[in-house]
Amino acid sequence: MPTFVHTEKCDGCKGGEVTACAYICPHDLMKLDTDRMKAFNQEPEQCWECQCCVKACPQQAIEVRAFADWVPMGGAAIPLRTDSAIMWTIKFRDGELKRFKFPIRTTPVGTIDAYGGKPEAGDINDELLFTESGETMPVINASA
Amino acid sequence: MSEGTFGNPEIVEVETDVLIVGGGMAACGAAYEAMRWAGDDVRVTLVDKAAMDRSGAVAQGLSAINTYLGDNSPEDYCRMVSADLMGITRDDLVFDVGRHVDDSVKLFEEWGLPIWKDKSTEGVALKDGGKPVNSGRWQIMINGESYKPIVAEAAKKALGIENIYERVFIVKLLLDANNENQIAGAVGFSVREHKLYVFRCKTLLNVCGGAVNIFRPRSTGEGMGRTWYPVWNAGSTYAMAAEVGAELTMMENRFVPCRFKDGYGPVGAWFLLFKSQAMNGYGENYMVKNADMLKDFAPYDTATVIPTCLRNHAMLKEMKDGLGPIMMDTPTAMAKLSETMTPREVKHLEAEAWEDFLDMCIGQAGVWAGMNIRPEESASELMPTEPYLLGSHSGCCGIWVSGPPDISPPEWQWGYNRMTTVKGLFTAGDGVGASGHKFSSGSHAEGRIAAKNMVRYCREHADLTPEPKGDITAITEEIYRPVRTYLEHKDKTTAEDINPHYITPKMYQQRLQKIMDEYVAGVSTYYNTNGKLLDMGLEYLEMLKEDSKHLRAKDLHELLRAWENYHRTRTAEAHLRHIMFREETRYPGFFYRADFPDLDDANWKVFVNSRMDPETGEWEMKKVPHIDLVEKHYG
Ligand SMILES: Cc1cc2nc3c(=O)[nH]c(=O)nc-3n(C[C@H](O)[C@H](O)[C@H](O)COP(=O)(O)OP(=O)(O)OC[C@H]3O[C@@H](n4cnc5c(N)ncnc54)[C@H](O)[C@@H]3O)c2cc1C
Ligand code: SF4
Ligand code: SF4
Repeated sequence: MPTFVHTEKCDGCKGGEVTACAYICPHDLMKLDTDRMKAFNQEPEQCWECQCCVKACPQQAIEVRAFADWVPMGGAAIPLRTDSAIMWTIKFRDGELKRFKFPIRTTPVGTIDAYGGKPEAGDINDELLFTESGETMPVINASA
Repeated sequence: MSEGTFGNPEIVEVETDVLIVGGGMAACGAAYEAMRWAGDDVRVTLVDKAAMDRSGAVAQGLSAINTYLGDNSPEDYCRMVSADLMGITRDDLVFDVGRHVDDSVKLFEEWGLPIWKDKSTEGVALKDGGKPVNSGRWQIMINGESYKPIVAEAAKKALGIENIYERVFIVKLLLDANNENQIAGAVGFSVREHKLYVFRCKTLLNVCGGAVNIFRPRSTGEGMGRTWYPVWNAGSTYAMAAEVGAELTMMENRFVPCRFKDGYGPVGAWFLLFKSQAMNGYGENYMVKNADMLKDFAPYDTATVIPTCLRNHAMLKEMKDGLGPIMMDTPTAMAKLSETMTPREVKHLEAEAWEDFLDMCIGQAGVWAGMNIRPEESASELMPTEPYLLGSHSGCCGIWVSGPPDISPPEWQWGYNRMTTVKGLFTAGDGVGASGHKFSSGSHAEGRIAAKNMVRYCREHADLTPEPKGDITAITEEIYRPVRTYLEHKDKTTAEDINPHYITPKMYQQRLQKIMDEYVAGVSTYYNTNGKLLDMGLEYLEMLKEDSKHLRAKDLHELLRAWENYHRTRTAEAHLRHIMFREETRYPGFFYRADFPDLDDANWKVFVNSRMDPETGEWEMKKVPHIDLVEKHYG
């Protein structure tokens, strides 16, 4: 089920240094054709169908179509992701549509304060992680 | 330094103290913990072959956190893990994950991960006593589409962007020139620029995940990337550890998940949350039907949760007897649940069923949509997949590490928690052997445990100046060899892919997969092998290894594939040698030694450890006694 890119929708991320899809694909699949300034999947049979690139594309230019060597034509699962929720459209082969919406995050993106209000580092020689400061770590109770 | 070109990369040297190789769950945990202990005197650097926001096994998201102890004791956690892995696990390591893991889960929630709550405590955070919705005893439900970006954000904030190298693939770890068996750094290349990186460090965390695509997948053609575990985890963890002489353990163990056929969609929520049943093609419950057969594998057959491999064993019996297809009876399960529910609740239930796929296996939703499968109307086919190697999910292959000093027996500890047998080399998550079932949360917690110890290692080795052994120029030449091979020979034939002077990474991978599938118990032999097949498999693997010197790379993308497949080969070799050594069938349903078909506790209730001599390339295999630190009763 590889990705494909709609020719009219892709703007090559406006000629920026790195395209969103190439930046994010964990398997280094999305590539910019610099002649046409359009992205494509350079190794479709290695696509995990994770849709990370689909969700990241600012133009909604990328879609996934089921792998042609097995799945009958016509179905699709299409996401629309904001910073706090994701909307899914499931399109069945027979035309039925289902829509689902799920929350994805309870805090605004970029606001994590890694160490705010957290304990300082404690004793480097004990078994406690820094956030467990003051706790007593259980040891194995053979008869428990 | 002049700017690099294709074939002539710029060499970039980076000096640090703690080097984290990988950017997944364990790496993010490590970065977060390390920076708090590091202070000003210890430098921390992270290098990932992808982008941390979506790298590793959690890239797509997850619908559950599979390890959360809540009110359960770490002792009971040790029992569950031991049962599922047929009795051979390290209680010290498992217990250690058990006592720390909830702390990481509470951090995830604080950072913004939505965790489902029981109606009685709606809106109350776990840390304030909120009760999660358990799908099983150890599993809690989440809205986990953004799990990885959230965990990565915290790690990136902690580390600082200037200490992170993305899109750099590490090929080799480097030993120290002046101190025997001490780690000194790593080398790799950028997949984006013509740059080759040489990192020097005092201590290194090797957390590159498990291994996928070592075996020929069931999927074909365009679908070949739709494997269960993420295609991009190429066994780098095991291969790179082996090549510097770290001791490996339980590399014979593998994981063969039973999943929805072709999309590889998860079945956990269906079994645990929706109470669905799986049947053979004639509507018979094969677990009930084959209960007697499983007695051969007592006492594990009566464990509270029957081990994954034994469930596969029962299913494979039906398939071999021609009683397929194996079906998950989703309509009955949904009908039963809706008997006691309002229509609104039923709609919610349907959404939950789809979310289980959409959060972590969108491909399965695609298969269902394309085939007009609606779980409330039609049952869905199940299938055991091709084998995977991993140490954090329901498998336990990996590296032999030192345990926590307050609970490990003397023979299982040598100073620093989660340090391998190579000084300064640590691992976590999929890298730690003999302690499966850590999952996303446990891998994060384990990365943190390792990181604290790594900072201590730096402090206690303040005068160590890492000096990588070997000729760096020669090593960098070796890394770029596939590029040079391509440039030298590409014009000698009219079709550049068919050339007697080189092999493409794609064909190389398919050869590896065919060898492993047919000789080392893949799907085409119903997971069977024997000593003779293994001997032949090893011979073919040796020739493949020789041919790895002729891999070609026509661009940086292919260079990445070339080295990923080299790592796969090394990992495959370790797997084969371990299966060859363990003369019993410990994990029926995962693989069968047809020449030793029985469970043999008298001779084989032991760890199998191996070490490859980095100088000679010779492998040494040995049995290591197993001890239970927690009393085991499985019923
Ligand atoms: C399909 C699937 C479903 C799962 N379901 C669940 C679930 O429901 N609940 C749960 O809790 N857990 C689940 N897990 C398990 C969980 O994802 C893993 O346990 C966890 O991600 C392991 O962490 P890790 O850090 O060891 O590896 P990963 O998170 O996989 O990270 C590996 C990292 O190494 C990097 N890397 C690899 N090779 C190199 C190299 N040579 N050089 C540089 N970087 C490299 C990768 O880019 C990545 O950043 C699931 C996993 C999968 C695949
Ligand atoms: S992210 Fe979208 S718009 Fe940008 S290059 Fe990729 S497909 Fe085109
Ligand atoms: S779906 Fe995933 S694997 Fe496929 S191209 Fe997009 S990001 Fe890469």
